[in-house]
Amino acid sequence: MNMMQAADIKEAVRQFIFSSIRLPDLGDDDNLFESGIVNSLFAVQLMTFVEKTFGIQVESDDLDIENFKSLNATTGFVMRKNGHGGR
Amino acid sequence: MTDRQRANYAEFKSFVALNVEPFAETWDREEAIPAAMVSKLAQSGYLGCTLPPEYGGQGRDVVTFGLLNEAFGRGFSALTGVLTVQAMFSMALLKWGTGEQRRRWLPSLAKGETVAAFALTEPGAGSAIQSLATEFTQKSEGQPLLLNGSKKWISCAQFAELFLVFGMLGQRSVACVVPRDAPGLRIEPLRDLMGFRAAGLAQLHFRDVEVPAANLVGKPGFALSHVAPVGLHYGRISTACSASGLLRGCFEESIAYAAKRKIGNQTVGDIGMIRSLIARMGTDLEAATLLCHNACRAQDDHLPEVFEKTLMAKYFTSRAAVRAASDAVQIMGAAGCHGSSPVSRYYRDAKIMEIIEGTTQIHENLLGKIFVAQAGERAK
Repeated sequence: MNMMQAADIKEAVRQFIFSSIRLPDLGDDDNLFESGIVNSLFAVQLMTFVEKTFGIQVESDDLDIENFKSLNATTGFVMRKNGHGGR
Repeated sequence: MTDRQRANYAEFKSFVALNVEPFAETWDREEAIPAAMVSKLAQSGYLGCTLPPEYGGQGRDVVTFGLLNEAFGRGFSALTGVLTVQAMFSMALLKWGTGEQRRRWLPSLAKGETVAAFALTEPGAGSAIQSLATEFTQKSEGQPLLLNGSKKWISCAQFAELFLVFGMLGQRSVACVVPRDAPGLRIEPLRDLMGFRAAGLAQLHFRDVEVPAANLVGKPGFALSHVAPVGLHYGRISTACSASGLLRGCFEESIAYAAKRKIGNQTVGDIGMIRSLIARMGTDLEAATLLCHNACRAQDDHLPEVFEKTLMAKYFTSRAAVRAASDAVQIMGAAGCHGSSPVSRYYRDAKIMEIIEGTTQIHENLLGKIFVAQAGERAK
């Protein structure tokens, strides 16, 4: 996966987050779950979004806050699940 | 609906008309569902409706699961409770269980040889699930867990053989499969409920119950954020569709009564005020049907917005069912107040729908927050 594809993933995740929660100034590494604005509903929505959009399965071993805590973390997780390494 | 979904729905309604509706009043009065009825559900494949064929399930889509619950909701809501909690347990395990856990438990759940229950609610933690007091302790990772605490209002717990129990392991929430025969588990039936009287509710008391670490479902720390929401999501789909079925029951009973009951030289249905009640009921039924179908379709399409669509379906149908049941009793008068009329049972059962799998107020809080956030997005 080249950098453009990584950028596409990040943009898609960003759009999803913006459409779900009110965080207009969200930075790429800002911690979503420490913001206090998201709840468990958002956690499963985000999981369903990445599964549907990127054709991956989030499994029990993937349950790690580090995988979903920020825009960059989620992008890195999707890339790793697709076998492209990197964080 | 596809032709296949339509055919399945006809089969479900036929099953309910033959095997459920004639006995619902008795089961409600006796506060019990006969074991033979649960066996029939199992033999028909209804307890493994959405589980994949690789585990022995029917592999049906969620629209079909919704239609199954709608049909049973028309017949007897308490029996739908078995479908609800079986799906809550099974789908949470399918999503978050290890390969070994799936192979161990899903085949018997799919065949209905094992009936399960979802043990989340506690005497002091209903809507506030973050306040769980049930405690797991463990000497070190991989060692067996010791479980202490209490769960209350657990549907089907009177006869379930497996429980998915939620609690805290230190500061981390965990979900753990606990078998009925675990030493130290005492099951206390809860009787004399207003509605869902035959749903087998019980209180569970755990005293130093030892559970293998291999029974933990999902990673510690994610039980409330990821495991429970999957189960509750299926619970909401089931409850929404069941409430829609109850609403249909209110509507069908009301129009049949209004058409034949004479008052002087006119029927009840000739009275304008009764027509108003029926108009609202019929329109609510149409809206409920569409909202439920929409939510089920979103689940089949694995859309992220499925959660809010399901919240809306459950929120609307449960409240509409309460209104419809009240109006159905009003239309039928004294006849509707007697146990021989299903609407008296609908009246009691409908209110339960507004409480289980998240109260109306919890739904309003979640949906209000979602809608306001969407408005914020549009304003950017």
